[in-house]
Amino acid sequence: MELRQAVDHELGGATPVHGGTEVVPLLRAGILQTDSLIDIRRVIPRGISGDRIGGGATLAELECDPQVPAALREACRLAASPQLRNMGSLAGNLLQETRCWYWRLKWPCRMHGGDECFAQDGEHREHAIFANDFCASAHPSDVAAALLALDAVLHTNRRTLPIAELYRVPSEDDRTTTTLAEGELLLEIEVPPCEGSVYLKAMDRKRWAFPLVGVAAARSGGATRIALAGVAPIPWLLQGSLDEATPLPLNAYKVDLARALVKRAEAAVTPG
Amino acid sequence: MPETKLNINDHVYELHSPVGTTLAEALRDELTLTGTKIACGEGHCGACTVLVDGVPTLSCITLAHSVDGARVTTIEGLRDHPMIASFVRSDALQCGFCTPGQIVSAVALVEASAAPTSDEIKHAVAGNLCRCGAYPKIEEAIRTWQD
Amino acid sequence: MARLIRTEKEVEGRYEEVWLVVEEDALQQWPAGAREIVGQPALRVDGSERARGEAIFTADLRLNGMLHTAVLRSPYASAVVKRIDVAPALALPGVHAALGVDEIPQLASECNYEGSAVAAVCADTLAQARTALAAIVVEWEIREPLLDPDEAVRRGQFVDGGDPRLRERGDYEQGLAEADVVVTGEFRTAPVLHNSMETHQAVVQWVGETVEVHISTQYIWGIRDAVASELELPPDKVRVICHYMGGGFGSKNEPDDYTFIAAELAKRTGRPVKCALTRREDNVNAGNRNATIQRLTIGAKADGTLTALGGDFVNAVGWSGWSSSTEGPMQMLYTCPNVKTTTYGAQLNQPPMKAFRAPGFVEGTFGLEALLDQLAAKLDLDPLELRRKNYADHDAADSRPFSGKKLMECYRRAEPHWERREEVRARSTDTIKRGVGMASQIWYGGGGPPSYAWIRVGSDGRATVVTAMQDIGTGTKTAMAQIAAEELGIPLAHVTVSIGDSARGPYGAISAGSSTTPSMGPAVRAAAADAKRQIIEIAAQRYHLEERVLDLKGGQVVSADGNLSTSLAEVVGLLEDAQILGKGARGPNPTGMQVLTFGVQVAEVAVDIETGEVWVDRIAAVHDVGRVINPLGASSQIEGGIIQGVGHTLSEERLHDPRTGRILTTGLDAYKLPTIADVPEIISELVDEPDEHLTNLGSKGLGEPPIIPTAAAIANAIRDATGAEVRRLPITRAEMLRALREQQERAASERPKEKVGAPAGS
Repeated sequence: MELRQAVDHELGGATPVHGGTEVVPLLRAGILQTDSLIDIRRVIPRGISGDRIGGGATLAELECDPQVPAALREACRLAASPQLRNMGSLAGNLLQETRCWYWRLKWPCRMHGGDECFAQDGEHREHAIFANDFCASAHPSDVAAALLALDAVLHTNRRTLPIAELYRVPSEDDRTTTTLAEGELLLEIEVPPCEGSVYLKAMDRKRWAFPLVGVAAARSGGATRIALAGVAPIPWLLQGSLDEATPLPLNAYKVDLARALVKRAEAAVTPG
Repeated sequence: MPETKLNINDHVYELHSPVGTTLAEALRDELTLTGTKIACGEGHCGACTVLVDGVPTLSCITLAHSVDGARVTTIEGLRDHPMIASFVRSDALQCGFCTPGQIVSAVALVEASAAPTSDEIKHAVAGNLCRCGAYPKIEEAIRTWQD
Repeated sequence: MARLIRTEKEVEGRYEEVWLVVEEDALQQWPAGAREIVGQPALRVDGSERARGEAIFTADLRLNGMLHTAVLRSPYASAVVKRIDVAPALALPGVHAALGVDEIPQLASECNYEGSAVAAVCADTLAQARTALAAIVVEWEIREPLLDPDEAVRRGQFVDGGDPRLRERGDYEQGLAEADVVVTGEFRTAPVLHNSMETHQAVVQWVGETVEVHISTQYIWGIRDAVASELELPPDKVRVICHYMGGGFGSKNEPDDYTFIAAELAKRTGRPVKCALTRREDNVNAGNRNATIQRLTIGAKADGTLTALGGDFVNAVGWSGWSSSTEGPMQMLYTCPNVKTTTYGAQLNQPPMKAFRAPGFVEGTFGLEALLDQLAAKLDLDPLELRRKNYADHDAADSRPFSGKKLMECYRRAEPHWERREEVRARSTDTIKRGVGMASQIWYGGGGPPSYAWIRVGSDGRATVVTAMQDIGTGTKTAMAQIAAEELGIPLAHVTVSIGDSARGPYGAISAGSSTTPSMGPAVRAAAADAKRQIIEIAAQRYHLEERVLDLKGGQVVSADGNLSTSLAEVVGLLEDAQILGKGARGPNPTGMQVLTFGVQVAEVAVDIETGEVWVDRIAAVHDVGRVINPLGASSQIEGGIIQGVGHTLSEERLHDPRTGRILTTGLDAYKLPTIADVPEIISELVDEPDEHLTNLGSKGLGEPPIIPTAAAIANAIRDATGAEVRRLPITRAEMLRALREQQERAASERPKEKVGAPAGS
């Protein structure tokens, strides 16, 4: 294996690595295979300038920066562990893989090219309650839910897109969860101003756990946008009602949790 | 591949391990600095915590070649730090396997904020798991490290 | 004089009859209360080397030429190896040897649980060994696993072919008939994983005809005997070494497959061989606290007097292990004339259980004590009063007197904590409900013979305690130093403790069953007393005084009249490099008595009734374990036990795939140990009165008692806060929300009756 330093945005087919908190464990588990790594830390912007946040900013930097909207700050503060927040970048966090235990243990599931979702008829208490008919994995990013509620805009080396367009529900024909192309790098995240935002998280421990349900709410122009973590294979923008959830036998409690947190999040950002 | 040099505790070592070797493996296997422990090997428990340019970092999921040019501090580099005596004084360890990692995280916290509150301590060292449950005394040791 | 006795030996609640040579314990106990050193807080004698990262754990050993091992384990819960070929592995770079099925007994073709070992490879590096492992070709025949414990009971499939364990006293049916109130409940506890921070591992090398086993273990001598027996060696040709170990909690009492794999590979290669489990292997293969199903019934008079206790306990043991005493608390905790329990050790295609900090009693106390609070609510009795009312003043199960029981004193000292409940409840809001709950604890912990110690007092007046025990993080080494220093009248800093090597000291007890301090401590004191006697004999001759007027105090040899006060170093220095050697043995436990530990915990919780989030805010623990040697170390033990208990109660659960039985929560991301942010305020107190019948110390063990009542106290606090009855551990959001919903439905169905003004009790 080789490790190169990136000097520009051309990766030459190598696997980009930034904080390494996802790439290194996946490499060592044999889930990710590559002969060539490229360290992109020097070519991804970090720091905050106006409403733009460098994709290379660490979660630790964002969790205590008053320029960062409350929902994003809180999502960073409650994400992962202190060391992972020190190492992990904002862009990398958006691109993390699911925590589905079947997937992490390399069961030959649909997302590994197989023809079955083992969670659906298996142990799925931490899994999805929306869009779970092809793959029941739950997207674990607190930060993504916050940015989705904030209606963030992403700048890559090739295009500009609303964050909602970064994600796609996997299907038989395309088993990926993002629309990022080979060689495309997430450079900056633009967070439009809002009147108020909040992130609420239910987890199994008080710290250092992925969300069972995370709820982000942001108020802008008199309307509230709600996005959820831990409820679908991708960060989930709540457009209809939670009654439309399709929980599995062991995770209906997530609907109750989401209902309670959405109510609180809405109340928190609604003036008066 | 240009040669990689590691600056560990102010000594410079040339790295011989192949790419893909983690910093924890390089420290323990190549340099025999076994104070840094590996308890999960996946970045989940914090036993392998070292400072990279002063920042608590999981050495078991850090590629050794990626810290070329950085300053790495391990427990062996903190042996004269008053935090060690404070851990002993507060009985903040039982089996001691997670302790070097706890101390590394604790040192980084107090270097940034000398008198952290209880909530700040709990937030800052929540990534260092201790199965013996020395937590109340770890908190005490961090609170009283200057005594 | 040495005396041969036939006696009952207890470890982790299991008894066996053994022959023992014991020595009479002639020493009187010290009077109650803290002494110069014993009973005073002492810093851990090895704290500094552990904190500084200098302590060399088994994981840190790097012996010259050491090879690394990777083990191929069954990915299936039930399967047979039809064909295996390790040759491709042998051809790969760095590989020195490989083992396939049947080459040693620990590599078997019949795999009855996931993780069962079938092959192993050793190589220069671990990466090479892992690469080679992947080259081994295996053809499996996969079978349908048995995973449902109730189904195993229906089929009569029990571990060790054992029958269900029926224990009955009095007439249970009659007791139920006499009851004014009967409460029943089904309680479930999940399997939980030890997760010692240092995974299970050994480094083995052959030195001539001796095999040296460096191992992370709780029982040096158990490893020696098991390895000697398996390899057909004389026991003293097996040397077992463990100077520091990174936690065990019951899972490291035996050698297990990795030790034998390393031993065989070391033999074949002539090199030291390390075999270390990964975290993920550890969490499948290194043991667990098995799941239980408890179907319980309590009958009582209207005044709370218990008339009948009954339970069916299903231990979901896994493929092997034992059916632990889940019924123990029901049998032992309260006086009740009519008790009937049946315990099933269901054999399943799941990894074997291992002892885990008070096996059975943690689980059984949850069910019993939670149901007892249900009874208290039904009878409108104060839960603490209900427990006092049914207090057992002798062993309820077999009529033996207790050697010492201060549970009533524990209850008394718990009162200030218990009395906080009005104030705690009053702080509830519309969505956050607060409450207080309590639970009692009963457990073994008396230790027993054999255990031996030597003490060497050198010409500098300093002492070294030599015994081949291990310190698994409990602070035993420190306690032994305190006991020796106290008896010898020298400063604690003048005592060194040498442990951890079967070739360098006499037999030391297992570090399990809360037995190390009560087993080893009296032997160390006896050895110190033996050395002290010899020093006084020498001083008497040197200074022409009678032995009876001489004593050792503050590092001095002193005479009763105060005329002589000379340093110990001066007296022992007469011998130059020769040394005083004292030896001591653990005496027998009191015959005809039940030696047990007791306690009570009071928990304060907050529950968010909309999200099911539970905060454990505070736990007050009062335990009776006889004399306390080191109050500082003891408080750490209590805190550690409670924190593990909080983990078991709220966040820890080993999950498996319901169809294949494969374990899913193998990583520390998915298996959620408590973090520092999950820890409540903990107030710990020990009654600290010597058990007057037990040894020359009157001390019992404290490793296990603190974890026992925690779950039940939390569950009872949740009930106090919300009225909801939780019935399974861990209390996940799903379980908490289910219990809250059930409570709301119950309340709703009761409300209409009140509206029509139905009389109470109708």
